[in-house]
Amino acid sequence: MGFMDRLFGWLKAKKKEANILCVGLDNSGKTTIINKLKAPDATQQDVVPTVGFNVEKFVTSSLVFTVIDMSGQGRYRNLWAHYYKETHGIIFVIDSADKIRMLVAKDELDQLLDNQNVKAKRIPILFYANKMDLRDSLSAVQCSQILGLDNLKEKPWNISASNAMTGEGLNEGIQWLSDQLQSVR
Amino acid sequence: MAAMETTNGSREKSDWTDLNAPCVSTEVEKMDLDKADENVNWLKAHFDPVAGVYSFSSCIALADLNGDGDHKLVIADLGTGKYNMMIKVLKGTSVVQENTLLDLPTGVVSVYMDMTEPRTPGLVVASGSGLFVYKNMRPYYKYNVEALTVLPEEQQLWDQSKVGNVDVATLADALNSLKNEYSSSMLTSQTSHFLKLSSQEEAKQFVEDYKNVPLKRETVITCITTMKKSMAEDDAISCIVLGLENKEIHIVDCEAYTVLHKFTVHGVPVIINVSGLFDVDFRMFVACRNGCVYTLKKDSDNARVCLDLNSQVVGMERIHKCLVVAMMDRTFTSFTTKGRQLWSLEMPADILCTTIMDHKAKGFKAVMVGLSNNEVHIYRDKNLVDTVKLNDRPQALCFGRYGREDSTLVAVLASGALQVLILKRTAEYADHSLHRGPPSSQYMKLNIPKKTQLFVDQTVRERENGIEMFQNFQNDLQMMRVNVAEMYLKGLQSSMTPLSDDPNVPLKLSATVQGIGPMFQLILTIENTALPSPSDAKLLTDLKVVFKYLDKVYTVSPGVLSLPALVPDIPYKFSIQVECIASDQPAQDTITAFIVKPDNTKPVVTANISMPASEGVVVV
Ligand SMILES: Nc1nc2c(ncn2[C@@H]2O[C@H](COP(=O)(O)OP(=O)(O)OP(=O)(O)O)[C@@H](O)[C@H]2O)c(=O)[nH]1
Ligand SMILES: [Mg+2]
Repeated sequence: MGFMDRLFGWLKAKKKEANILCVGLDNSGKTTIINKLKAPDATQQDVVPTVGFNVEKFVTSSLVFTVIDMSGQGRYRNLWAHYYKETHGIIFVIDSADKIRMLVAKDELDQLLDNQNVKAKRIPILFYANKMDLRDSLSAVQCSQILGLDNLKEKPWNISASNAMTGEGLNEGIQWLSDQLQSVR
Repeated sequence: MAAMETTNGSREKSDWTDLNAPCVSTEVEKMDLDKADENVNWLKAHFDPVAGVYSFSSCIALADLNGDGDHKLVIADLGTGKYNMMIKVLKGTSVVQENTLLDLPTGVVSVYMDMTEPRTPGLVVASGSGLFVYKNMRPYYKYNVEALTVLPEEQQLWDQSKVGNVDVATLADALNSLKNEYSSSMLTSQTSHFLKLSSQEEAKQFVEDYKNVPLKRETVITCITTMKKSMAEDDAISCIVLGLENKEIHIVDCEAYTVLHKFTVHGVPVIINVSGLFDVDFRMFVACRNGCVYTLKKDSDNARVCLDLNSQVVGMERIHKCLVVAMMDRTFTSFTTKGRQLWSLEMPADILCTTIMDHKAKGFKAVMVGLSNNEVHIYRDKNLVDTVKLNDRPQALCFGRYGREDSTLVAVLASGALQVLILKRTAEYADHSLHRGPPSSQYMKLNIPKKTQLFVDQTVRERENGIEMFQNFQNDLQMMRVNVAEMYLKGLQSSMTPLSDDPNVPLKLSATVQGIGPMFQLILTIENTALPSPSDAKLLTDLKVVFKYLDKVYTVSPGVLSLPALVPDIPYKFSIQVECIASDQPAQDTITAFIVKPDNTKPVVTANISMPASEGVVVV
């Protein structure tokens, strides 16, 4: 209690808040990415598959992020659509080593982009081509090719190769997202 | 950081040139191409045209081999059929392990053999007369089906030959007579091999080589499947069910590798379908090479014939309470477990393989039928709910969890290619058929008016006097038939028909009228319908045509027509001028043409020609 808390509160109040939705197939590393963004220095403890969703908060130099970390399991994927309306930005995580499910990721992305609430707004989408450390992972370019991102003209988007275990590539992506969110307002 | 790539919407062209994995980029192209076709419910996740696998549905399996939730694909590859037989394990799009097999594989299954954590299933490969068990993809155990008894005579012969009491020629003669006495399947493979040798030298060498090899008669595994032991969970401990060439079925315990139970059927089993638990109650359907399907139950030792089919079985699956059998004659038939046929469908092409599609999350169970027209048809009951187009003929199909995707279809194609398709999450299979069955208009409600009192009265009357009404109706119908027959007979007798019934003068007469009047042209076509033979040409001679008409209305010239000799089978045409002379109003009447024989008062044939109404005379 006291000065420091008030200072933080003040700092927070000054910063803008952004609601972010984090989606992607199961096991792509969404929870791991968010944990790493929240606490960059903490060593990763074991993550368990998310059930339903989790809400996490973290602060960057310019923004306060409220991230809804959705579960990517098939039976929960229809929950994603409930949060499109309130969100300011979307993080779409791809397991770049899971070649066989690339088209599944594309299918889910196409459905996301086809949603009325997503179509209505010009929300920025950040793609993480995660697990770039794995031996036979696809590069960010190859991922964007398979997902057909070149045809995505109506939304600002960016793809970063990342490694959620070490945090590599995460900040570049978040930086881009912050810039986008700030330029919008 | 150096390995990292960051690109965004306004990326430069140079990014595209440094693709370091060309194989992946071709894959991407292919995926794009595939978008165009009509597999609306399926994602073509992977296609490897040069996978070079040769396998069958019984030889592929999907299993969580490492217990990490990432399911692997196991393919027992038959290689060339003689060499290069192996077990391949695929993770995602790449082969992660290969183990060589010594003999042709007949099936692979994955079974949970113990309760140790983490739960990892063992992989059991049936090959020759042995089961090769792998755990964590390392060889773990080899089980041999127990050897059969050797005929004492055969044993004696070989024993004697070893000590040199019998020379090679007499040994061969004695074995040959044994072979004729029993069947060759009763003899050991050593004997069969020996009898096939052509020269004395080879035979001598053979006896020498096998001097210290004990005589063994082995059988071969023809099919393999699993049965849960005492609990029905997905990862419960199972036992292995083997079908053998000597018409036996063995149930083998996977912990101790002992035979728990044996059954005998009357044919060589090719497909076994098991339901139930070994410790509780179970039932097996065994399709055999003799075209029969037998039922085996836990508490009865004799096999009952369930189905006697007219074709060989390609695939047999059990869905709920029915047995669905796909056969080589393109039929796809459902039976009750008692063997009563429920329905049968004919496929548009040959059936190559089947598999069960069990979508647990959706509670959806269907049968996938791979056809030689490169399609996989998915049947829920007898309704075709979806058609999947593949790149080639499917040789083996397997539906299940692959990687982390629950509903994946793996297909080994005839060209050796491997294709993986994933069912879309949004795919919905309607309950009623898409392509077959009654059209949807049949389900539309019709606007049927209310029943009137008259209708009700009539119904009551019909109900009460039903028998009487039926009898009356029958009576009237008979009367009418009699009348018709009488009229016909009369017509025949008086030759009032244009066809003659007299076998001596078989004639056909037809007439057409041309013109609008008052001048008409009547064209008579007369044909001798006799069947000519070389000895008798059956010419008809001396016939005349005369006409009967009202002379107030028409003039006909010539009035009498003498026919030339009529040769059989040639239609003769004669033209007759008819003039309508009834001047007052347009007249219309019938002209009758008779063909007569000079010595007979009765005409041979008669044709009534109804003339069209004549136009009035044009006065110029
Ligand atoms: N090698 C490697 N492993 C990673 C990376 N990111 C995540 N993982 C691992 O991937 C697994 C799944 O990560 P999660 O964060 O639970 O995935 P998720 O997307 O949240 O999955 P759901 O909650 O089921 O949707 C974990 O075992 C992580 O340790 C990465 O960059 N590299
Ligand atoms: Mg998670």
